[in-house]
Amino acid sequence: MTYAYLFKYIIIGDTGVGKSCLLLQFTDKRFQPVHDLTIGVEFGARMVNIDGKQIKLQIWDTAGQESFRSITRSYYRGAAGALLVYDITRRETFNHLTSWLEDARQHSSSNMVIMLIGNKSDLESRRDVKREEGEAFAREHGLIFMETSAKTACNVEEAFINTAKEIYRKIQQGLFDVHNEANGIKIGPQQCISTSVGPSASQRSSSEIGSNSGCC
Amino acid sequence: MNFLRGVMGGQSAGPQHTEAETIQKLCDRVASSTLLDDRRNAVRALKSLSKKYRLEVGIQAMEHLIHVLQTDRSDSEIIGYALDTLYNIISNDEEEEVDDVEEENSTRQSEDLGSQFTEIFIKQPENVTLLLTLLEEFDFHVRWPGVKLLTSLLKQLGPQVQQIILVSPMGVSRLMDLLADSREVIRNDGVLLLQALTRSNGAIQKIVAFENAFERLLDIITEEGNSDGGIVVEDCLILLQNLLKNNNSNQNFFKEGSYIQRMKPWFDVGDENSGWSAQKVTNLHVMLQLVRVLVSPTNPPGATSSCQKAMFQCGLLQQLCTILMATGVPADILTETINTVSEVIRGYQVNQDYFASVNAPSNPPRPAIVVLLMSMVNERQPFVLRCAVLYCFQCFLYKNQKGQGEIVSTLLPSTIDATGNSVSAGQLLCGGLFSTDSLSNWCAAVALAHALQENATQKEQLLRVQLATSIGNPPVSLLQQCTNILSQGDKIDRRGSKIQTRVGLLMLLCTWLSNCPIAVTHFLHNSANVPFLTGQIAENLGEEEQLVQGLCALLLGISIYFNDNSLESYMKEKLKQLIEKRIGKENFIEKLGFISKHELYSRASQKPQPNFPSPEYMIFDHEFTKLVKELEGVITKAIYKSSEEDKKEEEVKKTLEQHDSIVTHYKNMIREQDLQLEELKQQISTLKCQNEQLQTAVTQQVSQIQQHKDQYNLLKVQLGKDNPHPGSYSDATQVNGIQPEEVGRLREEIEELKSNQELLQSLLAEKDSLIENLKSSQSSAGTNELSSATASAQDSEQIAELRQELATLKAQLNSQSVEITKLQTEKQELLQKTETFAKPAPASGESEAVAAAKTADAEGRLSALLQETKDLKNEIKALSEERTAIKEQLDASNSTIAILQNEKNKLEVDVTDSKREQDDLLVLLADQDQKIFSLKNKLKELGHPVEEEDELESGDQDDEEDEDEDDGKDQGHI
Ligand SMILES: Nc1nc2c(ncn2[C@@H]2O[C@H](COP(=O)(O)OP(=O)(O)O)[C@@H](O)[C@H]2O)c(=O)[nH]1
Ligand SMILES: [Mg+2]
Repeated sequence: MTYAYLFKYIIIGDTGVGKSCLLLQFTDKRFQPVHDLTIGVEFGARMVNIDGKQIKLQIWDTAGQESFRSITRSYYRGAAGALLVYDITRRETFNHLTSWLEDARQHSSSNMVIMLIGNKSDLESRRDVKREEGEAFAREHGLIFMETSAKTACNVEEAFINTAKEIYRKIQQGLFDVHNEANGIKIGPQQCISTSVGPSASQRSSSEIGSNSGCC
Repeated sequence: MNFLRGVMGGQSAGPQHTEAETIQKLCDRVASSTLLDDRRNAVRALKSLSKKYRLEVGIQAMEHLIHVLQTDRSDSEIIGYALDTLYNIISNDEEEEVDDVEEENSTRQSEDLGSQFTEIFIKQPENVTLLLTLLEEFDFHVRWPGVKLLTSLLKQLGPQVQQIILVSPMGVSRLMDLLADSREVIRNDGVLLLQALTRSNGAIQKIVAFENAFERLLDIITEEGNSDGGIVVEDCLILLQNLLKNNNSNQNFFKEGSYIQRMKPWFDVGDENSGWSAQKVTNLHVMLQLVRVLVSPTNPPGATSSCQKAMFQCGLLQQLCTILMATGVPADILTETINTVSEVIRGYQVNQDYFASVNAPSNPPRPAIVVLLMSMVNERQPFVLRCAVLYCFQCFLYKNQKGQGEIVSTLLPSTIDATGNSVSAGQLLCGGLFSTDSLSNWCAAVALAHALQENATQKEQLLRVQLATSIGNPPVSLLQQCTNILSQGDKIDRRGSKIQTRVGLLMLLCTWLSNCPIAVTHFLHNSANVPFLTGQIAENLGEEEQLVQGLCALLLGISIYFNDNSLESYMKEKLKQLIEKRIGKENFIEKLGFISKHELYSRASQKPQPNFPSPEYMIFDHEFTKLVKELEGVITKAIYKSSEEDKKEEEVKKTLEQHDSIVTHYKNMIREQDLQLEELKQQISTLKCQNEQLQTAVTQQVSQIQQHKDQYNLLKVQLGKDNPHPGSYSDATQVNGIQPEEVGRLREEIEELKSNQELLQSLLAEKDSLIENLKSSQSSAGTNELSSATASAQDSEQIAELRQELATLKAQLNSQSVEITKLQTEKQELLQKTETFAKPAPASGESEAVAAAKTADAEGRLSALLQETKDLKNEIKALSEERTAIKEQLDASNSTIAILQNEKNKLEVDVTDSKREQDDLLVLLADQDQKIFSLKNKLKELGHPVEEEDELESGDQDDEEDEDEDDGKDQGHI
């Protein structure tokens, strides 16, 4: 299983918003309705394909509780991407985004790609946060945004992949030092990096981001 | 004291100065002197006193030293001294070395001292944070003592210090940077620091792993030469072990990071006898243990099996098996390798199959399993090695029905090698079972029990095994022989504990008989067995016999619980009455309870590995403890139950069985229907494919017809223009007059065909959705067994519907092919008409010849026209040949649709050719026209009719011959 790149992700956000379920849906393609509290940090991995390149995603799912915050902070520096998750049926999880974002910005490298995720989109009847609000928050803070459902798997794949596309685009633009593993990026074994990927490729990947809101 | 005096400078140090005063003076200088040099010297003096006067320096100087760390950061030298001093105060390491001769008492005291000073130091968590920032200092004099001090703090009060580091921002991450230090001393001590940091703290272990520790450590191990490396390799391995042991998240990360592959070269030790240094043995030992951490039976099953898979795929298992079969490997490495191989294969079929195929490089080659079993039943082998082999054998058979079958089959009459050349696993086990070494008895009995574990087939198969005893006596069954030995156990002289032999045999019998009524019947059939068991249980024997009594009770209980009442004299009820009369229910249950109350029982129930400190502890097998847990309760219940209850239960059982069989029946039905569905789906897809191909064929035909039409029209126009003769012209119009009609009709038919096809496709779509429905209803039937009956009824209805539709579909396809045939016949007709169209040409040639006789002018024209006609005829001939070929190809396409696709390509080429030829023809015609025109002019101008007439006549004759040939050919084709 060789890969062109390896990206490290972390998943953050209040407890109960569905971080662990998102990871499970992405790595195992299943949903676990029973709430299993994450203690500390759990690991998961999967291979994805972007622009014909195999990319290995290593994902650390963190515990949302305040008591684990200091542990979570240890993971920002080494991550290339972060999924910041809130629950569209619980406004307080949306209200806490600012504090999460501050934490992330303070402890991560400036290039970390952050994807804002409004999860549980299947519970439309109990919606408490409008999609537009999520979009506005993302726009304001320069994040990518998506609504997902870890239950129906809607947009889960896309959320992880679009984050990877954005990281890949930043690599193409030379914003990441791919030789410094501390950035959460690693070049696969026996890979030579071609930085000369045409502008069309990077444009395409960026235009695809955010346009994928099909099912939610 | 000389040194001290020097440090104190000019001050007169009187003899009354005690150490405490000196230290106090030094502390004052550290605290109050404004000169850095002065302070530095004082701290240096404290450092030199700190080993000998640990308590005094610790008490008096600690706060001053911490103050130095806070305020004098710019001077690395003074910081270095302060850190060294603190290290001396806090660490116990040096003390232990110095105090070799002193009593334990003092060591304990100094340990207390270390932890007390640690407590004082970390009371202010900022002190630890301060230390962490000092570690960022690159200067060797700061970093090195800093690393050592922090390591000491962690060793003294691990959990507290870990907690402080965990909450200080990037605390753990910064310590990880030590592994990248170019100075080996710091890197190596960094490894020790991380060892202390990660000890029993999952959260820190994960952060360290996240910070790429695996990669770094594996790199260091590789750089240092794997197992040939020094103690730093061992330290790295221990750190890896800290990170992975009982940490599922990290294990998963390790596996996903493809680091298992990097372990393989560790075991590349092979046969090269490059010597086995003590360090190498230690390194390899930890390496093996690290492999075991990843595949430990106590890990979550999914995690272990994915590691097992990776270990086979990267060749690690194969490498380990090479060590297993190599010579000159130290015994403890060999033992640990066997244990490791055991856990790499345990419960994972692919690896178990591979292991079964491994051969020892002996002559002739023997299976590794046989070679290992030889060691197990060999008294001269070390005890731990024999235990390891037993474990390996157990792991090989764990959840491996195939392997169990293979082992048992080596005992069956049909497969025993009569030549006696090669010894089999079965023979070795039997040998062990009945040898005079009680350890061998126990191991062989347990090994054999594992060949039967959860495998009803093998339990029955083993009943067939017959043993030849002494010459002249009839063979005796294996089951019989086991009970024989059991009952006369005391009489045989054995080495080792007699209990072991009997416990082993009883465990084997209990495993054998449980869940196997036929084996119970065989056992009860020997009329000596029940009296023996009741005798054993009833007797009032000493404490050491209690376990055997318990096992006898269990065996009797099993004989009741799994009794199918097929033996009149030993029916359930009778056996229970026997217990009541001879032993008493209460007594029986009490004896039964002896097993799980035994002191060694709970130990064995924890882990599958037979890991005993010495041979006397070898009593229980792990799998057997599971069996006891499973049966103790149910047997107790069965004994207490009245006969009425028994009967009732029997009835319930029967109905349950009936119910089970009904369910099985429906399950089978569903399975069959599933298959049918699959078949139907396949048929549909074939039909779809056929439809598509037919459609292409039809399109092709349409375009060909169009082409023909165009060609005819072109020819017609050409002929009409060049040949004004009314007869031939009208003939041509007649022929061509029919053609458009024909084509129109063909088109209509094609339209019809198309619409038919559309109909078919919509039917296909309908069917597809029907299959979807069927599938979903089937799966819902699967989840609810009770509703399976109705569901499958529905299914069969739907299948019937589906079949009917398939029939319609087929019928439609048939009618379609009929229509295609019709279409072809019509095309053939068309071709024939084309032929008729071709025939009038010679006739018109003849009439031209008559006209030529009248005038020379006309003759010239005629000859030219004849020439043209000849060319045209050739063209027509070629075209009709082509058409014939096309027709043949279409015929073929109707019979085999697959070929049609190829034919289509061929046809395309042909058509292109014909187009090209047609183009050529047009050019030729234009050419001829030009020629005729110029000839006419020439004739008019020059007037040499005789010469040209000769030429024309000869050309005419040639023409006629050609035409005859053409006709013959054409007729042959049609
Ligand atoms: N309906 C619905 N429930 C979800 C979804 N994602 C998670 N949940 C539920 O929300 C709860 C919390 O999920 P969990 O993944 O443990 O949250 P975490 O604390 O962020 O890791 C669980 O009971 C999940 O079953 C979703 O997309 N839709
Ligand atoms: Mg969670």
